[in-house]
Amino acid sequence: MDTLAKLQILSGAARYDASCASSGSKREGPSCGTGNTSSSGICHSWSDDGRCISLLKILLSNDCIYDCAYCVNRATNAVERASFTAREVIDLTLDFYRRNYIEGLFLSSAVMQSPDYTMEQMVRVAEALRTEEQFGGYIHMKIIPGSSSELVRKAGLYADRISVNIELPSQASLQRLAPQKHKQAILEPMALIGRHIAASLCERKTNRRAPRFAPAGQSTQMIIGASPETDFQILRLSQGLYKKINLKRVYYSAYVPVTADNRLPVLAAPPLLREHRLYQADWLLRFYGFSAEEILSDDSPHLDESFDPKTAWALRHPEFFPVEINRADYAALLRVPGIGVLSARRIVAARRFSLITPEGLKKIGVVLKRAKYFITCQGRLFEKSDQTPALIRQRLLPGESSQTAVSSLPKQLVLPGLLA
Amino acid sequence: MNSYLYDGSADGLLSAIAWILEEEPDPERVTLQERKNTLFEEGFTIGTDATLAEFLFFRLKQSAPDAAHTLYSFMLAEKEAMETTLLHYVSLAFKHGSKVNGYLTHPAVRDIVNIAKKAQRELHRMKGLLRFEKLQDGAYLAKMEPDYNIIHPLAYHFSLRLRAQHWFLYDVKRRTAARWNNGSLQFGTIEQFTAPALFEDEKRVQALWQAFYKTIAIPDRKNPRLQKSNMPMKYWKYLIEKQGE
Repeated sequence: MDTLAKLQILSGAARYDASCASSGSKREGPSCGTGNTSSSGICHSWSDDGRCISLLKILLSNDCIYDCAYCVNRATNAVERASFTAREVIDLTLDFYRRNYIEGLFLSSAVMQSPDYTMEQMVRVAEALRTEEQFGGYIHMKIIPGSSSELVRKAGLYADRISVNIELPSQASLQRLAPQKHKQAILEPMALIGRHIAASLCERKTNRRAPRFAPAGQSTQMIIGASPETDFQILRLSQGLYKKINLKRVYYSAYVPVTADNRLPVLAAPPLLREHRLYQADWLLRFYGFSAEEILSDDSPHLDESFDPKTAWALRHPEFFPVEINRADYAALLRVPGIGVLSARRIVAARRFSLITPEGLKKIGVVLKRAKYFITCQGRLFEKSDQTPALIRQRLLPGESSQTAVSSLPKQLVLPGLLA
Repeated sequence: MNSYLYDGSADGLLSAIAWILEEEPDPERVTLQERKNTLFEEGFTIGTDATLAEFLFFRLKQSAPDAAHTLYSFMLAEKEAMETTLLHYVSLAFKHGSKVNGYLTHPAVRDIVNIAKKAQRELHRMKGLLRFEKLQDGAYLAKMEPDYNIIHPLAYHFSLRLRAQHWFLYDVKRRTAARWNNGSLQFGTIEQFTAPALFEDEKRVQALWQAFYKTIAIPDRKNPRLQKSNMPMKYWKYLIEKQGE
């Protein structure tokens, strides 16, 4: 099989992995080699699904011994199998990098023979790129659950970012849909990586030449809508990962039906809106000072589909509003629907110079569409003061004006076999 | 309210601003524009002094590094008829230091910062969207048509990245070029451009990239609107993966 045919099979098999970040690592390239990394990350193209392409995202092989129900590469699925040689991956990476098609390599793989065997092949590619080819670009490597801690350590030394995919957010779902995977085999390497990263950062404080361990951090991915977990369970899991092992990011990927299996839900289309709301809530956890318990509770464990999670929170907490633009601190500004990190920073910077007037607020670029119901500016309300939360809710409901696309998106359907 | 004129060059603009900041008690009440030599033009012409221009930039870098960066990005945009606004911005920058960029309620700051941001955005985009083609002699060539004159910072970016390669950048609209070879970076203009022959293997690598580009998209999630908002169609002309669309 030629490289082109392999590339088609093995990039097609890798496309369901959501992570594409190339940020968080700043490395000067080797003087006689190719490539460096930029801390902001650089996107090189956008594919037809609108997602950015920054890395050459491929599997080393799709020849899997596991039989996970949700996965297109599972052992019992009749797809064409292919495996790259290390040389092919290295040549592709360098050929693409030299023409500025990509920012680096994203290498994952199906489990061939055993986790250790697979991981070893992957580490070999990264090692050759770094040492033989003097490649200084970005490398993101997947850790195969169940591979030895020595291989995990090696991977972290060559890669900028490493990630272990959780895939399904609970042990019960793993058992049902991916019987060969175990929660422990996933969480253990994650914790190990977390410790390695912390130790390396610590060491580099005293020794500038100490080796860096996954300088762009660790991430993971969960499939949304293939199993019955609630949004609350998912968010709490993410929150724990962010707090306890300092994860950089959790990616959520709406389940795309790739195989017919009676253990899986029947979906008319991928639950894109649910994925979108989870990302919004995830941002609230990481950048807005919210906790999962503030966003959801056991009584209402699912995110509201018609409102973003911050607006939903604001409508439940009328006692917090209105917020005065000229006085409120940064943390309070961030809680106003429609005001994000950028707007909040601009407000704080601009009011050092003068009081912000309602016109000034518009001029510095704050979008008032949602915010106007929740703020005062120099003591003045933007909307009539007698508005009840119910009335505001009515006004903010999508559908009437621009956001028609939202309501037409498919909703999560019933999961057959799960309710019984 | 005094009006001043300058010769229209970048050095002329900066040295005029330096002169006004030195001589005028209240620069915010002064206007500055390019001399067009028309009949009824009014104002005092300030001569161009390259050292004065350089010194202004140096001083701004010392007292307000963020504003110096904004000024540099603004100059990339080659905007006309904004001299007075720029003068007011620089004057404010010396008064407030780097935090002047937060003074967005001031019209001069807002206009300059917005234009600088657009130039920076295009520079960042081109770092990703530029495409090199390997030529017969082993060198790499990238053509582009950016809105702003970003060839200098862009070439600097690639000089750190593709160090071991011999490459050219060519701005088709402005007919300017950059060349990197053996650790030195040069800039120049190109009067006549003839397309050089490609490396024999080049079409194969391009076909690989096109195939990757196609298969990496998830068919169930097609979203052309999002794609175009991230990657405006004006950049598609030189994208290998978008040829023939």
